[in-house]
Amino acid sequence: MKRRTFIQGLAAFGAIGALPLPLSRALAANIANPVSVDDLPKLEGELTLYLGRGEGGLYENVLQAIQDRNPNFKLGIRRGPTAALANTIVAEAKAGVRRADLFWAVDSGAIGLVSDAGLAQPIPSDLSAQLQPQFRYKDWAPVTGRVRTIPYNTSRLTKEQIPTSIMDIADSDLSIGWAPAYASFQSFVTAMRILEGDDKTAKWLKKIKKRAKTYAGELGVVMAVERGEVDIGFANHYYTLRLKSGKPDAKLDLAFTQQDAGCLVNASGILALNDDPLATHFMRYLLSIEVQGYLAREAYEIPLVNGVPLPEGLPSLANISPPKVDLTQLADLRPTIALMRNSGVL
Amino acid sequence: MKAVFKSATTLGVSLLLVSAFVAQPAFANGPIGEHVNHLQANIKDYSEEVEWMIGKVDTMVSNYESKGAKAIKSDDLIEYWESVKFHSAIETNFVPVYASIWQGIYGVKMAIDNNKPATEARKEQQAMNAALWQGLGAVKLAAQFQQKGLLANVKATATTSMTQSATIDEIKHKLDRVIAKYAERLSDEATSIVHDTYLHLFEGVEGTLIEQDAKLVEILEKDFNVTLPKAISDNKSVDEVREVVSSMHTKLDRAKVLLEKAEKARKDVF
Repeated sequence: MKRRTFIQGLAAFGAIGALPLPLSRALAANIANPVSVDDLPKLEGELTLYLGRGEGGLYENVLQAIQDRNPNFKLGIRRGPTAALANTIVAEAKAGVRRADLFWAVDSGAIGLVSDAGLAQPIPSDLSAQLQPQFRYKDWAPVTGRVRTIPYNTSRLTKEQIPTSIMDIADSDLSIGWAPAYASFQSFVTAMRILEGDDKTAKWLKKIKKRAKTYAGELGVVMAVERGEVDIGFANHYYTLRLKSGKPDAKLDLAFTQQDAGCLVNASGILALNDDPLATHFMRYLLSIEVQGYLAREAYEIPLVNGVPLPEGLPSLANISPPKVDLTQLADLRPTIALMRNSGVL
Repeated sequence: MKAVFKSATTLGVSLLLVSAFVAQPAFANGPIGEHVNHLQANIKDYSEEVEWMIGKVDTMVSNYESKGAKAIKSDDLIEYWESVKFHSAIETNFVPVYASIWQGIYGVKMAIDNNKPATEARKEQQAMNAALWQGLGAVKLAAQFQQKGLLANVKATATTSMTQSATIDEIKHKLDRVIAKYAERLSDEATSIVHDTYLHLFEGVEGTLIEQDAKLVEILEKDFNVTLPKAISDNKSVDEVREVVSSMHTKLDRAKVLLEKAEKARKDVF
């Protein structure tokens, strides 16, 4: 079933209320065209941004470019691990202090932590309308996405040999590479828990563990697939694209499962911690066609704004069928880590 | 001592130190006193501490020579070193020498604990003394940079941006800390630094790097995840672990060149 068919099906069965932002509202909303920075207001004043470590310094380039373009704007930046900054924001709020105006996090789980604490400001509807409907949230804006994928070795398998259900992969005879200690993998398991329940997820983990080879990170997983150490792996999409960029003859391609945690689209995101219009205007820059295009081109991240052209090779959201998961529900990793430990995976 | 100071003032070594100081945001694991942000004001104390440390170790080795191992407590060597402020001054400013000091201290301790001839303990003592003097020279130079505002304060939170090539410098610094902690006999902590450095620093640059040189990334992946952790878990000598790190440094230097090239080739955001 294609994603669009799935959305239509949900609407028909009245299941929309469970989605992040009521899809009826999302579908009814006008889908705005992407906005160029040329059409954005100049930024003037000062803001403090807490920046969770991003994709190898590319987020820094974006921030610098925004400042260069707005000489009367001063951005103070505090950098650190995403989860640590989210905890800092919550702790500062409890202490009656607010040092950050904005929080740009590399994963939506950390955003959820701040949002759940009631610290995030509502997103203006015109800003939200620029995002694809399934990525509209009331108090934060996803910036770019990354897709869970099944990288596979093309000299050993064809795409058709790979199950299109993540749960069925546990019953296949494929050898698997995984990085269970990796944050993205743990978010994926959290999504599976939400979608399938703890029992099924625990059984899946135990079955996979029997045939899986463990790696420290997901680039390591992808490289192992390419070397033929394992048939398939579990990894975010961009590792495969980057390896193929550096090694064009790599025996590697991407497969996607359908409508399950195996093709979860997770996102980096930004939220405002006060109602200063300057903070909202700053967020508009991150959703501009130029920034979205830059992060897609240079970091292989998936633009989440409508109508931003995709660089060649980047998977289009129109061609995959991610599950419908409120990304902010991925915030609490503790039950997932407990489940993984109890299953002998960690 | 004079020889060490003389060599430390040569242009080559000075440049090496400049690059080491400027490139390293320092993160310490133990309690680090505020004195590390006021090095110049504490140079006299540091110098006295080095003299004191050298004297205490000399006395211990002399007692070992004349009365044997039972007459002394070799664990005191660790306590001497951990009790001086100079410890954190060198740890936060020039971690390769910090590792050599620990290596020297444990060299003396192991010679005593294993009832080796006193000449062997003396040999290790000389190596430790040289490392201490070298460390004092490095801290004095760091103090000069600090006076000129060229040395960042010791902080736990990064407030300045880190480019991909600067991340490589930070990775190299962390790997030096791995040697230091290993020399300090803190193997678990050394392994943990390797793991964290891979996940929190190398992982952030390897995406760009693999586009430039996939083979290099593959080799470094193995170094981070197999070669270095295995050298630590196999209880290799400090010199052998240092050799692995040194080889990684060479590869990381190549990585830095490639990342700088990629950075230059990158199109503007707007």
